Amino acid sequence: MKKFDLELTVGLFIIVGVICLGYLSIKLGKMEVVGEKGYEVYAVFSNTGGLKIGSSIDIAGVDVGRVKSVTLDNYEARVVLILPNSLKIQEDAIASIKTKGLIGEKYIEITPGGSEKLIQPGGRIRETQPAIDLEDLISKFVFGKI
Amino acid sequence: MKLSYLYGWSVLLLFLLGVTVPVMAGEPEEKIKQTTDKILSILTDPALKSPSKEGERRKLIRSAVDERFDWEEMARRSLATHWAKRTPEEKKEFVHLFADLLEQVYMSKVEGYSGEKVRYEGERVDGDYAVVKVKIVTKKNRDIPVEYRLKKERGDWFVYDVSIEGVSLVNNYRIQFNSIISRSSYENLVKRLREKAELR
Repeated sequence: MKKFDLELTVGLFIIVGVICLGYLSIKLGKMEVVGEKGYEVYAVFSNTGGLKIGSSIDIAGVDVGRVKSVTLDNYEARVVLILPNSLKIQEDAIASIKTKGLIGEKYIEITPGGSEKLIQPGGRIRETQPAIDLEDLISKFVFGKI
Repeated sequence: MKLSYLYGWSVLLLFLLGVTVPVMAGEPEEKIKQTTDKILSILTDPALKSPSKEGERRKLIRSAVDERFDWEEMARRSLATHWAKRTPEEKKEFVHLFADLLEQVYMSKVEGYSGEKVRYEGERVDGDYAVVKVKIVTKKNRDIPVEYRLKKERGDWFVYDVSIEGVSLVNNYRIQFNSIISRSSYENLVKRLREKAELR
């Protein structure tokens, strides 16, 4: 009888532990960096420079959102961004891919525009700047083209 | 009998529309070509080569650029979040100062033209917006990729941004203007632009 109680307790403990772990991973998986409810917009880049899912989105140096997905669309990169509902992005905002430091990870910087029109959920940030490929640039200015 | 007559006319109309669309598709690139060719002809005109003709040459280049560049749109996009707070007079003044700033910064570069070739690498049209890709081939055989972003207004295409090597002109000034305004004031920015204009 006693042995049964011990095994039962251990088993229940493990089940509770696994449930907690599962809850934690689902919660984190949804990337609650946004905190409040968010909306999606997308932008097309000719070169993402290796931007990853979960990369940060900055405005004025402040982390405001996350990259949800990066897919290839007609040989260009279609990046879906998650932004908080309270953040309004103007129609002429520019999304650029920048590097943390000079050779660090890539992130997206959005500079707000001057248009009164706002980008709606599911809308597109039309103005984009691709990642600058440092090696290409160096080779271009050192060696030129054949 | 009447119905087939209508049908015939509507088919003809649709056919004509279908035929005209491809012709329209080349429009933004055509507009860029026109302006570029105009400027190149001014730069290579022997009658305008002498230093005494500098003023006249610059005026001609500026008016060719004025035809294709939407200065107000570029100024608004560059001033960004600070645009809405400006009075109509301030906005008008800023557009002038902005256009003059760009003329000052880029005129000497344009005048340094020495036979570089311009290659047209295609365009992409998305409704009222278009991107025209161009490559400037320098003497040292380097390719400089340039992208013109145009918007259709009043039936014509106007440039609202230029990207060189993937770096946007509007974004460049947007960041600088924002920095100056947040560190000092809009009035200070205008003062600096006015001072620069006086140096011409």
